[in-house]
Amino acid sequence: MSKAKKIVLIGHFGVGKTSLIRRFVENTFTKDYKVTIGVHISKKEVEITDEASITLVIWDLEGLDDISKIRTSYLLGTHGFIYVFDLSRPATYENLDTELQYLKNNYPNVPTKVVGNKMDLVNKAFIKQNSAIFDPHVDFFVSAKLGSRVETLFSKLAEALI
Amino acid sequence: MLDRYKAYQNHKFQYISVDPTGVILESDHGIFPVTVQTKLQELHPFFEILSSLHATEKQEHQFSCINLEVHENALIVDLVIALQDKDSILIIIENLSSHYTSYQLAAQSRNESVINSQVLELKNEYLLEKERFKNNFIANFSHELRNPLTASIIFGDLLDNSGLDASQKGYLDIIRAANKDLKHKIDDILDISKIESGKLILNTTVFNLKALCDEIVGTYRILAHEKGLEFQLDYDKKLPEFLEGDAFRIKQIITNLLTNAIAFTTTGHVKLALSLNYMRAKKANLHIVVEDTGCGIAKKHHDTIFERFLKIESDALDSQGPGLGLAIVKHLITQMEGNIKVDSTLEEGATFSCNLNFKISDYSPSLKDELLSKQTFTSNEKHHILLVEDAELIQLSILKLLAATGHFYVSIISKGEDLVPSVLDHDVALILISNTIQDVSITDAASAIRKLPRPYKNTPIIALTTQAYKEDMKRFKKAGVAHTITKPFDENTLLEAIYGVLS
Repeated sequence: MSKAKKIVLIGHFGVGKTSLIRRFVENTFTKDYKVTIGVHISKKEVEITDEASITLVIWDLEGLDDISKIRTSYLLGTHGFIYVFDLSRPATYENLDTELQYLKNNYPNVPTKVVGNKMDLVNKAFIKQNSAIFDPHVDFFVSAKLGSRVETLFSKLAEALI
Repeated sequence: MLDRYKAYQNHKFQYISVDPTGVILESDHGIFPVTVQTKLQELHPFFEILSSLHATEKQEHQFSCINLEVHENALIVDLVIALQDKDSILIIIENLSSHYTSYQLAAQSRNESVINSQVLELKNEYLLEKERFKNNFIANFSHELRNPLTASIIFGDLLDNSGLDASQKGYLDIIRAANKDLKHKIDDILDISKIESGKLILNTTVFNLKALCDEIVGTYRILAHEKGLEFQLDYDKKLPEFLEGDAFRIKQIITNLLTNAIAFTTTGHVKLALSLNYMRAKKANLHIVVEDTGCGIAKKHHDTIFERFLKIESDALDSQGPGLGLAIVKHLITQMEGNIKVDSTLEEGATFSCNLNFKISDYSPSLKDELLSKQTFTSNEKHHILLVEDAELIQLSILKLLAATGHFYVSIISKGEDLVPSVLDHDVALILISNTIQDVSITDAASAIRKLPRPYKNTPIIALTTQAYKEDMKRFKKAGVAHTITKPFDENTLLEAIYGVLS
């Protein structure tokens, strides 16, 4: 097995963390929302180059509106974060600054990708209108439902972990 | 007995000993079977955590609520991982699946409720935004239509007095009727937009109810007779003469109902009845009824008849287009804190009845004289009017109209910067200024005039505006505008305003 790297998905509940992982690992999607309690862990091998690959051990954490409340044991040995918010619910990104600052302060050397999910529910004009909020932080606008940019998101994070 | 309890506990706990690389040394198989000498990481990716433990100084790590799928069994467990010595790690697993499953059900319900309320809130905001966009669009659209329509109305009026033969006059009548219809439709759309955006303000003044009624009947009796219908009026003599209310809007309510009544009736009669419900504490409650013997409205539509753009499956109604008139009536009556209902049977006609409350005005002969008197223009001298307008069609329309009266000289400028020099250079009796001038607003122009020395500063100003909102009118008045005319306007409206201001 290639070298294992632990990545953790965090963000409010209902933003689509589990759906993103399902899309990435199983290439499936269900519109039914099932709450995650505690943590689900899955893994997938990602080829970085023809010679190099890594195994992503993906921790799908229960959604919380304040990441400082996450059990610290869940974050032990984390190599990368994916912070997910729901583009269609402002409540999930209104504290983006504070949340990301918390990660930066407590996990300064851990690569983080910030992701606006449910791109299928908004349009480009909406993204443009909210550019003041999104531009400084967001790395990817994705749709777990459509599968758009999900593979790229995980690949880019995997590259950053090497 | 205790053995049975112990056996029960054995199914809840599992003890596994592994080496630092995760190879299983020993297990009691309490929850699930494992194979000694295989790596625990192969059982579930959670156990990859073993490689991270050496990074901390802690000897014991606790993990709660970990979802493990082992041998196709979904478990939710708590784990303790204790570093025993340099060669072995003890893992204690407690199966808490049933406990966490019940917690999951509660969390599911709570989260769904929060998400739904957030989504609803957003949908509501989106709808409000859409409504604002629609109202702005309507206001701008109506603004764009007003200049060409004003020109069309005024030239229609001018043509009427230009010696047309009977056939030409017939064509002109059709054009003028179409202009009038278009003007009403624009006004209706703008009214709905104002009402729905909460910008419609009732303008309460003292008015003569009988005079208002006579004015309406004068017009609608003719319209009814033209269609071969009998027009009946039933006016209760007990009604007070002077009331306080928005006469324009009351007239709009009655005329919208009468317009529909005449439109949807082919034989029989149309009736307007005004009566007094009661008088109490200087207030009068009026009962207004508009009745017709037309096509009627099916009962299933009675609840929705007042909705805007309602289309009812009736040939007669379809041919009349969207029903903005009734929507406006309903909104106005609601704003006046009154009520309206419809009673109708298909093919037997309809009766709309409403109740409205008004304050009774203190009667005074001087007030009556003031209300009944109409200002007339008797001056023989010619007045110089300065028209500030950049739309060529309107320039030409007003020039022709004013020249035809023989009472005015007209100078025209189309730039705001020429206003003050023109007023200073000429003996201007009145300024007519449009709100479409690019480089100056009506309020700025009025302020500039008011800053001039006497007698220029007192030059009266009439605003010609495509902005028909009450707040605009208030702004103009505050800036010193004597009168505001909303485009499109006709010959009479403009002349009455000019004569009124000059006399």
